[in-house]
Amino acid sequence: MLGSWPSLDPHNFSQFKPNDPSNPSKMTPVTYNPTHDRTLSPPDQVIVPEAKNILLRHFYQQAEEKMSAKRAFSDNPMPERASKLPRASASDNV
Amino acid sequence: MSVWNYVVTAHKPTNVTHSCVGNFTSPQELNLIIAKCTRIEIHLLSPQGLQPMLDVPIYGRIATLELFRPHGETQDLLFIATERYKFCVLQWDAETGEVITRAMGDVSDRIGRPTDNGQIGIVDPDCRLIGLHLYDGLFKVIPFDNKGQLKEAFNIRLEELQVLDIKFLYGCPKPTIVVLYQDNKDARHMKTYEVNLKDKDFVEGPWSQNNLDNGADLLIPVPPPLCGVLIIGEETIVYSSASSFKAIPIRPSITRAYGRVDADGSRYLLGDHNGLLHLLVITHEKEKVSGLKIELLGETSIASSISYLDNAVVFVGSSYGDSQLIKLNLQPDAKGSYVEVLERYVNLGPIVDFCVVDLERQGQGLVVTCSGAYKDGSLRIVRNGIGINEQASVELQGIKGMWSLRSATDDPYDTFLVVSFINETRILAMNIEDELEETEIEGFCSNVQTLFCHDAAYDQLVQVTSSTVRLVSATSRELRNEWFAPEGYSINVATANVTQVLLATGGGHLIYLEIGDGVLREVKHTQLEYDISCLDINPIGDNKNCSQLAAVGMWTDISVRIFSLPDLNLITKEHLGGEIIPRSVLLCSFEGISYLLCALGDGHLLNFVLTTSNGALSDRKKVSLGTQPITLRTFSSKNATHVFAASDRPTVIYSSNKKLLYSNVNLKEVSYMCPFNTAAFPDSLAIAKEGELTIGTIDDIQKLHIRSIPLGEHARRICHQEQTRTFAICSLKYNLSAADDSEMHFVRLLDDQTFDFISTYPLDQFECGCSVLSCSFSDDNNVYYCVGTAYVMPEENEPTKGRVLIFIVEDGKLQLIAEKETKGAVYSLNAFNGKLLAAINQKIQLYKWMPRDDGSHELQSECGHHGHILALYVQTRGDFVVVGDLMKSISLLIYKHEEGAIEERARDYNANWMSAVEILDDDIYLGAENNFNLFTVRKNSEGATDEERGRLEVVGEYHLGEFVNRFRHGSLVMRLPDSDVGQIPTVIFGTVNGVIGVIASLPHEQYVFLEKLQMNMRKVIKGVGGLSHEQWRSFYNEKKTVEAKSFLDGDLIESFLDLNRNRMEEISKAMNVAVDELMKRVEELTRLH
Repeated sequence: MLGSWPSLDPHNFSQFKPNDPSNPSKMTPVTYNPTHDRTLSPPDQVIVPEAKNILLRHFYQQAEEKMSAKRAFSDNPMPERASKLPRASASDNV
Repeated sequence: MSVWNYVVTAHKPTNVTHSCVGNFTSPQELNLIIAKCTRIEIHLLSPQGLQPMLDVPIYGRIATLELFRPHGETQDLLFIATERYKFCVLQWDAETGEVITRAMGDVSDRIGRPTDNGQIGIVDPDCRLIGLHLYDGLFKVIPFDNKGQLKEAFNIRLEELQVLDIKFLYGCPKPTIVVLYQDNKDARHMKTYEVNLKDKDFVEGPWSQNNLDNGADLLIPVPPPLCGVLIIGEETIVYSSASSFKAIPIRPSITRAYGRVDADGSRYLLGDHNGLLHLLVITHEKEKVSGLKIELLGETSIASSISYLDNAVVFVGSSYGDSQLIKLNLQPDAKGSYVEVLERYVNLGPIVDFCVVDLERQGQGLVVTCSGAYKDGSLRIVRNGIGINEQASVELQGIKGMWSLRSATDDPYDTFLVVSFINETRILAMNIEDELEETEIEGFCSNVQTLFCHDAAYDQLVQVTSSTVRLVSATSRELRNEWFAPEGYSINVATANVTQVLLATGGGHLIYLEIGDGVLREVKHTQLEYDISCLDINPIGDNKNCSQLAAVGMWTDISVRIFSLPDLNLITKEHLGGEIIPRSVLLCSFEGISYLLCALGDGHLLNFVLTTSNGALSDRKKVSLGTQPITLRTFSSKNATHVFAASDRPTVIYSSNKKLLYSNVNLKEVSYMCPFNTAAFPDSLAIAKEGELTIGTIDDIQKLHIRSIPLGEHARRICHQEQTRTFAICSLKYNLSAADDSEMHFVRLLDDQTFDFISTYPLDQFECGCSVLSCSFSDDNNVYYCVGTAYVMPEENEPTKGRVLIFIVEDGKLQLIAEKETKGAVYSLNAFNGKLLAAINQKIQLYKWMPRDDGSHELQSECGHHGHILALYVQTRGDFVVVGDLMKSISLLIYKHEEGAIEERARDYNANWMSAVEILDDDIYLGAENNFNLFTVRKNSEGATDEERGRLEVVGEYHLGEFVNRFRHGSLVMRLPDSDVGQIPTVIFGTVNGVIGVIASLPHEQYVFLEKLQMNMRKVIKGVGGLSHEQWRSFYNEKKTVEAKSFLDGDLIESFLDLNRNRMEEISKAMNVAVDELMKRVEELTRLH
């Protein structure tokens, strides 16, 4: 189970000379101080907090569903039939 | 100190919180990206190892960090979310070498309870959405469209309230999360949900798993072809998928970090709380999981992140010890370990306590920290500036110059040290016994002052005196040729290299000679309009033996000029401005850039970038090094060239990342320096100071030096005692071998030079050290260590019993001479009016030191003050006591001598949970609290009413972004009373992330100036990821967010020096202050740390 460690580029670390571990690494990267304007993302990629609270969204969604149900009722004069149909299909699945 | 404060980082955070590996900077390049709380480091994997590329400051505390690759992209993007609910998606632009922002935003909710177990941010492996769990009961989704663009975010209700971990599953047709959670009976379960992006809701997922290990805390999603998830518990590891369930028992341990080894997810590295590294293997046949195996590989630092890099090399990021680069070997070593540590990266975090001491007694503060935790605990000695390790020294008064010479041109070592005095020249050399003794070079003129000496070609030496230039054989030491100054003129200044001599006489005569084999040839002579004050012909071109350019400093018109050689044509003239003449010029080259350095008589140094092809000078910069004339010399150390600036404030000038840096040398005053590299003292310097000649080696050239003293246990309090030259620490050791993970607490005494344990006092079972103090009492000349303890019983919410222990150091041993039982934990001890002031749970208690009949002493309680939740941090000044409370901010007490009572004088009525307090001056107190803010409060003595006087007014607020554990008055740099920054009082702080910072109280005028500079810097230096500096520094807690006031961000202000010239000029224009002046003022501030 040990061994055959993955290698993406066999060169990586091939010339690495280990430091004396009592001497810690002194390599320090350059500090980045951006002065360009692309630190701001394109305006369409700025995500803002959701305007609607999740609860309100839920209420609206329910209201919407009710409305569409009513609309469906007025559009379809045979509501009882409609509500019975799914049950029949559900029993088919059993 | 004052209310106008400047906060700056002396040592950046080193605590590694996250790490990941991917192709960030190019499709072909493999990068390791490390998060250190408020900074990101980008490294490149190369044949030579890890190459640091960039250190990116983030205006936020990084909560999550992930690399991901949207469809159609050839390289990875970096997703970062901060603790203050901002996120950004960063991309590397290879063309410009810039980090650009692809997307950013705010993911906060107005209503919501922040999660207890930290924030979770994950990216779907098929890049359909980003998922965030920031508030209990809510899962926030930021969907991607099919072009990889982010769309409007929304919340989904998550039924599980106590979430431990959430991950995306691989290989699911619909984005699917797996949730590890705890129910209200403390049982742990796992379930899956599909995210329905259209309905913005969850759909019950493909499978779930109930009643897992009680310590299950971590999920590892397994990539295709196996898919499914690993659930890491404390006693078992489970593999679970829709079709399979496998479990193995493990030795009890808490897994802190994991790293995937193979792309197919068959092997994982697991790091536990003891720093043990295990390999977890999923065995499988025909893409079906057949079982799990686990193998111990060895020990590392306690890992907070593990990233497999390439070719068996692994990065182990640590919060509790040094981070490491390790190699996984195929064969175990003698100790049975497969782990080989290749490299170590210093981490000071968590700094739990520290003290500032002046061990060398030269006015230079050392910070000694209690760093690390558990087995990785250590003391770290942090020192600013470069030390000289003295090898030999002789008393010599009146040195006027020094040069080292070799006995043959190709000799690797120096033989002679020429020391010049006002009317004689002495030659020192190493004898066979490696002792420095006086010798002679017959060809040299020794009864006059030497102006300059150098090795010359053809095994020769050259000496310049006020009347002649002498060329001497290095082997026979006899004079071979001599050049005489024109009659009536004496040589004032001279310089030389291996083949050239340049000298100046009175009347502005500049004469150029060339050195041949036994010949000195006058090649060119020119007369300038004024006298010459200094010269240099250090070769910086391709030819190491010969310079094409000469630098000349002038009296009268105060200019520096560049001449071409050998024809002595003037090619550049730069007026220095002002009235101070240049005293030393030097041509030098660092990291491939050529510079002209020009030191003035008043301790200022100008530097210019020099174009060697045409002698043009550009990018003029001026810094103040000291107050006395400076002499510049180059020297080499570890194969790099540096410049030593000898003056009343000796400094080493070096270059890092193509920027000139100045580091103090820890010596008081140096008049001359020359490199002196002998077989006995390789790589040494000869230094003339205060009537003494010293030979010594120089430290590594860097600003902060950190020495590590590993303890193998966790030091929590430290205190220094000058009189006995010892440190006392309170520490605890975890006993890993015992079945019940017991811990032992100690008071230990350490020698302040060797840092060896010289004495130990074990505390009782359940007793732990909470505070330590060195002090003496009224009517008793002894110095004592006082230790405050608490008995921490598992069944108690707060300790109800503790002790105050009084030790004396005798014969290097801790002797307990008195003890006093207390009714709670002794969180703090202070010397107070010759008595002992203790903070014990909710009470402040004053003890007097009373003699007994037998001559011994005992602690007797005198008075106390109730009224705190827990009085954790106490500072005193005169009769005033400042208390930092667990949750009731800062209060001010006063001790009334006549009444023998302690009363409350004023308090801050805000509900700040304190982590440290300090007294800045009589009226201003500084606090740090657990939302990573700093604030100052002011005593209002002039208030009209009792109510007003009883209220500490909040005068300063600032978001540091760091958890401060301790403030201490003191300074990391040597304070010179006559320098500007020498007058600025400072407080040092240490944090959980290993930051050492400095808070400096500025005069109001300077504060106003720098505030304006900060405002202008904000417009020029943009926050990475679109994060705003102004928002980042605003004081922020659950109740309020207000703009920072009375604190300035020194890190932003000092980055002025890193800007290019155009940007500096932009700011200079906006400020209406010259660039030179701005640079000088900012450079001075960098000398505070």
